[in-house]
Amino acid sequence: MRANEEALRGLMIDGLAGDAASHAALLRLLVPLLRGFFRRRANGSDDDIEDLVQETLIAVHTRRATYDRERAFTAWLFAIARYKMVDHFRRTCRLQPIEGLEESLFAEDFEDATTARLDIEDLLSTLPPKQARAIRATRIEGLSVAEAAKAGGIGESDLKVSVHRGLKMLIARIQGGAR
Amino acid sequence: MNTDDLITRLAKDVPPVRRGATVMRLALGILLGALVSATVVVLALGIRPDLGLAMRGTAFWIKWGYTFSLALAAIVMTVQLARPDSARLRWTWLLAVPVVLLTGLGVAELARTPPALWLAMWLGHSWMICPWLVLALAMPIFVGLLWSFRRLAPTRLRAAGAAAGLAAGAFAATVYCIHCPEVSAIFVLTWYSLGILLAASIGALLGPRLLRW
Repeated sequence: MRANEEALRGLMIDGLAGDAASHAALLRLLVPLLRGFFRRRANGSDDDIEDLVQETLIAVHTRRATYDRERAFTAWLFAIARYKMVDHFRRTCRLQPIEGLEESLFAEDFEDATTARLDIEDLLSTLPPKQARAIRATRIEGLSVAEAAKAGGIGESDLKVSVHRGLKMLIARIQGGAR
Repeated sequence: MNTDDLITRLAKDVPPVRRGATVMRLALGILLGALVSATVVVLALGIRPDLGLAMRGTAFWIKWGYTFSLALAAIVMTVQLARPDSARLRWTWLLAVPVVLLTGLGVAELARTPPALWLAMWLGHSWMICPWLVLALAMPIFVGLLWSFRRLAPTRLRAAGAAAGLAAGAFAATVYCIHCPEVSAIFVLTWYSLGILLAASIGALLGPRLLRW
């Protein structure tokens, strides 16, 4: 399952209803997300990062009653992760913030990027797979048209048309959603 | 421990969580603390002898309405600050409503009273002990809230401590109403509020130490 807001929130809500399998699936999906979150913000050995990941997982588990089902799950999660990270900086000197404590408290870049990536994945999943693949290759992974066409096993003009149609459809969808 | 093992172990204990569990837990902490405070008032300070009569007048209900609405507004803050994603607080203006209303009543009261009596009205009979009693009665409620917070997830510890102190102070003042015979609005506005603010300050001071998790 892809770790987008919708899916994580669904698992969290099922977990709150007492579904242990959903809860376990949620915690497993959070591991790579949290590792990325901490690696970008803290200098430390893999063990220290893993300690933080585990502390956050335990907090997510023991404090799960504080999640409000009406609100965004990722905002709740990253707020806990940020708190655990700052607490960790305070307690031990082994782990150091990369850009100073103040900035790491307020820098929302990774969080925003993650949320944006999740949104993009959501949007792409609404497109036909061929168009989604073409956009992902050329616009997200940064391949050239020739490389992407070769990787996809289709012609260059075919790929360009797919990207064009896909983007047009996404724009229409976003504008439709905003209205 | 390996992260996979940790997850397996955590997933063994997944009790269902009711909606509003956070609010219920805070309410329970306040209720338990308020019971202790009320017991202290009844046993140590004594219920005001004319309570039955006072409850038929408006002064008692103005006082009680002020402290109780302030307490509810403080709860709204505390509930928000008990959750990790509390960067943007909403409804803070609610705290100002009781203060503004009581100030209006106080001004009207002063206009009706000859200036020679203003000082007596403002100081009442108990201005020196009233704030301290409110503060003392707030302690059990604050402890009750600390118990509630043990399962909650505040990330702004100073603000959460202040909100908890404010709620404790305002509920303590609500309980104190059954003892205190003072009637004037400006008395309540000054000395009750002072006690409540003292409780909030102590909460803000202790929050970062006591609310860590």
